[in-house]
Amino acid sequence: MTSTTTSSHLGALLMAPVNALMRVVDIPLRGLQKSTGIGGMAAFFLAPNMLIFGIFVLLPLFINIVYSTTGGTAFFLSERSFVGTEQYQRLFTCTNYLDPMSCQEDAFWTAVGNTFWFVVLQVALMILVSLVTALILNRDLIGRSFWRAVFFFPVLLSPVVVGLIWKWILQRQGLLNFILYEIGNVTPYTWLTDRNWTFIATIGVSIWAHMGLYTLILLAGLQAIPKDLYEAAEMDGTKPARVFWRITLPLLAPNLLVVVVLALIKAVQIFDEVYVLTGGGPGTSTLYLTQYIYETGFASALRNPGLAAAASILMGLVLVVLTLMQLGLGRKNENKGKR
Amino acid sequence: MGEIKLTDVNKSYGSVHVLKDINLHIKDGEFVVFVGPSGCGKSTLLRTIAGLEKITAGEIQIDRKRVNETSAADRGLAMVFQSYALYPHMSVRQNLAFGLENSSMPKAEITERIGEAARMLEIDQYLDRRPGQLSGGQRQRVAIGRAIVRRPTAFLLDEPLSNLDAELRVSTRAEIAALHTRIGSTMIYVTHDQVEAMTLAHRIVVMRAGKIEQVGTPLDLYNEPANRFVAGFIGAPHMNFLKAEVAAVELGTVTLTIGGGHKLLVPLSGHKLKVGDKVTVGIRPQHITLAADPGSLTVKTRLVEALGSETVIHADLHGEKLLAVVQGQKQIGSGDEVHFSVAGAPLHLFDENGLRVKSA
Ligand SMILES: Nc1ncnc2c1ncn2[C@@H]1O[C@H](COP(=O)(O)OP(=O)(O)O)[C@@H](O)[C@H]1O
Ligand SMILES: [Mg+2]
Repeated sequence: MTSTTTSSHLGALLMAPVNALMRVVDIPLRGLQKSTGIGGMAAFFLAPNMLIFGIFVLLPLFINIVYSTTGGTAFFLSERSFVGTEQYQRLFTCTNYLDPMSCQEDAFWTAVGNTFWFVVLQVALMILVSLVTALILNRDLIGRSFWRAVFFFPVLLSPVVVGLIWKWILQRQGLLNFILYEIGNVTPYTWLTDRNWTFIATIGVSIWAHMGLYTLILLAGLQAIPKDLYEAAEMDGTKPARVFWRITLPLLAPNLLVVVVLALIKAVQIFDEVYVLTGGGPGTSTLYLTQYIYETGFASALRNPGLAAAASILMGLVLVVLTLMQLGLGRKNENKGKR
Repeated sequence: MGEIKLTDVNKSYGSVHVLKDINLHIKDGEFVVFVGPSGCGKSTLLRTIAGLEKITAGEIQIDRKRVNETSAADRGLAMVFQSYALYPHMSVRQNLAFGLENSSMPKAEITERIGEAARMLEIDQYLDRRPGQLSGGQRQRVAIGRAIVRRPTAFLLDEPLSNLDAELRVSTRAEIAALHTRIGSTMIYVTHDQVEAMTLAHRIVVMRAGKIEQVGTPLDLYNEPANRFVAGFIGAPHMNFLKAEVAAVELGTVTLTIGGGHKLLVPLSGHKLKVGDKVTVGIRPQHITLAADPGSLTVKTRLVEALGSETVIHADLHGEKLLAVVQGQKQIGSGDEVHFSVAGAPLHLFDENGLRVKSA
């Protein structure tokens, strides 16, 4: 009792200046509404957000399209020459279309290939791992909320921190080698300079960093399945595997689809963690599309902002398709909820 | 066969003692209804019989075999859930087939059983629809059908009618009774509605707070409730309870004094009542009649409800509520003074612990 009254006193105290401010702001706002009507007020309140969205999203998008039609190394648009579709043509110039190495921009195609395999393997494993985790966390195990938090925690970390943590674990004199040496007397291994291991590491680390979100979505889906369906199946003596394939999986399908599309979008955009962890190496073994775009446009000695812009627009098109899929799924689920 | 015997069954969730020393013997083919207020443990008791919950103490036998350690599937029972628990992504046909497919039953027999159940329940037209495309009553039939196709030794039904509207509830109730007659298997039916219990049951099990209060045929419970709780729970409207004191004890008769100094004569023998004992006397509203002479109970009416065929009179007898349901239409208004008679009415006597004072 006492604590609620004190806190409400405190609340009133904190609200006092806000209320005073509101009283002042109220007068011009009322005037504005009189002159513009309710619709005008909506526009007025939306304007700041639309402005920010316009400046930081729409404008760069537009400028990027313009950049992709210009050539040269200069950054300022005024110093760049118009080249039409030359940048796009350059990306698609190959002597043998089955061999990325024969292309003029072999790095682009290497990055596309790497990204493709990364996306396929990472998303497949991501679904598997987060589904299994969600199934386990959905059981009555001790400290369930603790484990849920544990799996979700990495999602809150900045990607750079994720990269650094795993670098510290995987580097030659890192934690993993130390532990392997201590328990198994295993000779230290250079995980981050072996082409195959680094590719696997980028997949593993990105799964570790993002699985919490997908686990949470799947867990919510699992908990939405009525318990008595399982009890009905139990009464009928249904084997656990059949319960999973015939009841759990079909009823979880809407959530699984959402997770697949979200994971695809996220995987195509992979960059920060990998850049910190491997820098795209060794060689170009973990060079993914976003890093290629970044390095082509800004970091390499022979930078080519026009080429980077063209590559980013191609990547953007892929993401648009995936996003439309996601929106479509969302709408379908929404309609299902309404029925 | 479908004989079920519970011996000293107890169930606790941690420190919450939900079922207390349940003893019950259900005979093969019997229709038994568990009734009691919400939260008294009816569903829990049903679920322990089903094998969906483990009991903490006691023994459950089905057909004279101990099944405490037997899984739900191997007990040979079928359950109809309150929510129906139909698989929403499967057609009605698949819902009916799902349980049978577990036991690697030949396809032909599955088809035959589904056809038979569908005809019996008149759901043949809906076999290819999903549960979401059915009305509440149709879903209910599918849920029952899913139990029937398994040909269980006993059916367990947990408030199967509670999600239906009033009219459908009455007709489905009759269908369930007809189904039982036709199939002849043991049925255990849970409800909080005493009318459902009275109309369906061979025997009713009245429960309160995890205990069985009384087991008996509907009329046993109505005519000789074992205690005040059962007396108040069975019968609508509820039985009237009046405070009374034993004024005189003679051979075969006990004289009671109730509010306002009225005297009631109760035929009773073989009891242990003495003059001065405090008791409660129970009178069913339907057993009170209107009287002309002022020598009977004089009450003041508070509310009069004319239902056409009968008149419900809410009256006040020296601060105690008294409800009477009299036949026909009466010219009585609220606030009028009327005379009630309980001559010839069965009077139920309960001691200070609420237990029935029995006639030997
Ligand atoms: N899983 C559970 N954990 C703890 N208490 C429970 C659980 N299930 C039921 N109960 C308690 O057991 C009592 C009886 O529940 P239930 O059998 O569902 O009552 P009814 O079906 O008669 O309404 C209730 O008080 C309920 O709170
Ligand atoms: Mg219940």
